[in-house]
Amino acid sequence: MIDEQMAVFIGSGLRLAVPIIFAATGEMLSERAGVLNLSLDGMMLMSAFTAALASWATGSPLLGVAAGVLVAMAVAAVQAVLSVTLRANQLVVGIGFNILALGTTTFLYREIFGPLSRDPIPGFAQLNLPWLASIPVIGPALANQTGLAYVSILMVVVTWLILKYTSFGLAVRAVGEDPRAADKAGISVAKTRYLGVLYAGILAGLGGAFMSVADSNTFTENMTKGAGYLAITAVIFGGWNPWYTLAACLLFGFATALQFLVPALQLDVPVALLLLLPYLLALVAIAGFVGKSRQPSALTIPFERGG
Amino acid sequence: MVMKNPKLARVAKGARLELVPLQVLVPVISTIIALGIGLLIIAATGASVLEAIEAFWDGMAGSDFNIGASINRAISLALVGLGFIFASRANLTNVGGEGQIAMGGMFATAAALHGAGGLPLGLAFIVPLAVGTIAGAVWGGLAGFLKAVRGTNEVISTLLLSFIALPLVYWSVESFHLLRKPISDVSSLPESAEIPDTTKLPLLFPDNGSPLHIGLLIAAIAVVVVWLVLKHSTLGLRLRAVGLNATASRRAGMRTSLYVILAMTVSGGLGGLGGAIMILGQQFYLTSDFSSGYGFDGLVVGLLSRGSAVGVVIGALLFGFLRSGSINMEISAHVPSAVVLICQGLIVIVIAGSAILTNRKVTR
Repeated sequence: MIDEQMAVFIGSGLRLAVPIIFAATGEMLSERAGVLNLSLDGMMLMSAFTAALASWATGSPLLGVAAGVLVAMAVAAVQAVLSVTLRANQLVVGIGFNILALGTTTFLYREIFGPLSRDPIPGFAQLNLPWLASIPVIGPALANQTGLAYVSILMVVVTWLILKYTSFGLAVRAVGEDPRAADKAGISVAKTRYLGVLYAGILAGLGGAFMSVADSNTFTENMTKGAGYLAITAVIFGGWNPWYTLAACLLFGFATALQFLVPALQLDVPVALLLLLPYLLALVAIAGFVGKSRQPSALTIPFERGG
Repeated sequence: MVMKNPKLARVAKGARLELVPLQVLVPVISTIIALGIGLLIIAATGASVLEAIEAFWDGMAGSDFNIGASINRAISLALVGLGFIFASRANLTNVGGEGQIAMGGMFATAAALHGAGGLPLGLAFIVPLAVGTIAGAVWGGLAGFLKAVRGTNEVISTLLLSFIALPLVYWSVESFHLLRKPISDVSSLPESAEIPDTTKLPLLFPDNGSPLHIGLLIAAIAVVVVWLVLKHSTLGLRLRAVGLNATASRRAGMRTSLYVILAMTVSGGLGGLGGAIMILGQQFYLTSDFSSGYGFDGLVVGLLSRGSAVGVVIGALLFGFLRSGSINMEISAHVPSAVVLICQGLIVIVIAGSAILTNRKVTR
């Protein structure tokens, strides 16, 4: 009985962590280049809705994911124009996008599906890899995931490799730490930041699409429920390091999953208090009470050539 | 003595540049464009635009009751907006209005239900208002404290504090030992009992059925006080100096961290007062989502005003009436009120994007 509940807990913790892992990993790269996308939540929400819509219309969850990622990239592109070229306040622009995304998806959802629709949409099947399932305790939870969940871990590895071993990764780090010097060395600050934001858009798109076509097979209004903000916090918590960021995402995923475990174990802890736990952890983390880390020097500071 | 510092002298000069036409033009134009897009969207759904506008107008100002309700909404938005511009004077961005409203409303309800009802001489509602204000001030001040002491970005911390405040309200209305009303045979929804009549804000026009209450006077006083402090006091000048250059201000002998905490505390307190007025003025009982949307509306109001208290009043009235209108539009003309969210998002993005046009004169 307890074992079963633990397996369910681990499984749901992982599933809740996956969208945050996607979004946080992309965001980390963008922040290393100096651009903070508070619009992450809006990108995820737009992608979740578009993926659900496209999957429902075409019958193919894969096309759904592709459509979701494209829309998230479009949002990211506009965010990049505003925060890189127009040097707008990145935080304010991000909040604007989140309001816009909430309004747009809620409006379109009601217009297209109707306010009370709970029609399931075509989603991905779980893979059930037998060799993973044979691991004791955590095996079944690890194996009962959709392919997209494994892609999230793959993206962490890819992002780490990009940052560490490619010239683009070097450019990203240079632009985020000292844009003036990078510019003098012949690196295009604007181009690098555009690519960084677009990269964050792609991954936020994957994360949002995961929510609708892989995790729940449905779209609900405001379904991200602030996951984008959690992802940004995970980046800060993780000290702009891909592996620590991954760990922070897993922590948030499991903290969120506690609201299902605790009632199942018939513990007398109010669910409402469990709802705020991830955010409280995040606040404690960014307040620097869990080890102090240094953010990229040029984070949120627009770059103006020849200033 | 303060003016000897060149940085501060420049600040004083910058203050006179505040009202260049572009600063007014940009918010006005972006609001008009956003509303135009909203109308286009309504037209695209196939709904009758005229019918939608009619329902919208009716909801905004169709009767004494609707006008009063719209202004009541504007009162809370104005207070959150004032809080926003107060913090932004010190170059702090308080995006946690929602959480500050929630804390203010929750503690005001608690005070009204537990003890304040029997107090004489108007104290019955003044005490809950004060308690709500303090709760919001603590919530905002916490972000200021973290900023001053730990260097925590206040945008992220105020956001997270909102995400923490909302489940706290949910918890309080869900637990019988906190604020949830006792089970009756009628219903046992997760909400608080109604506050005592003595704690409700007195109505301004009790005879014509308008719900407009004395919150209007409180907000008016707040507008004047914030305007005086920001534009015509040493405190306003110092907040601005701290925001522009903390290092220089510190060298000039100012305790900068104190001003950061003060700015966020006042900012949060105004939000808390707004939340308390929502409960004591019109809603009368606490529900878990009573603050929903008000935080972002207040934030947009603050952004639109570009730091001017008069701008906050105009923006708050605009959004107070917009909200009322959009709710009625959804009920009568079946146009989703999310259209208004779309308009708001566009307004914020356009204004932020055009800052490159409007900020140049001030920063150079």
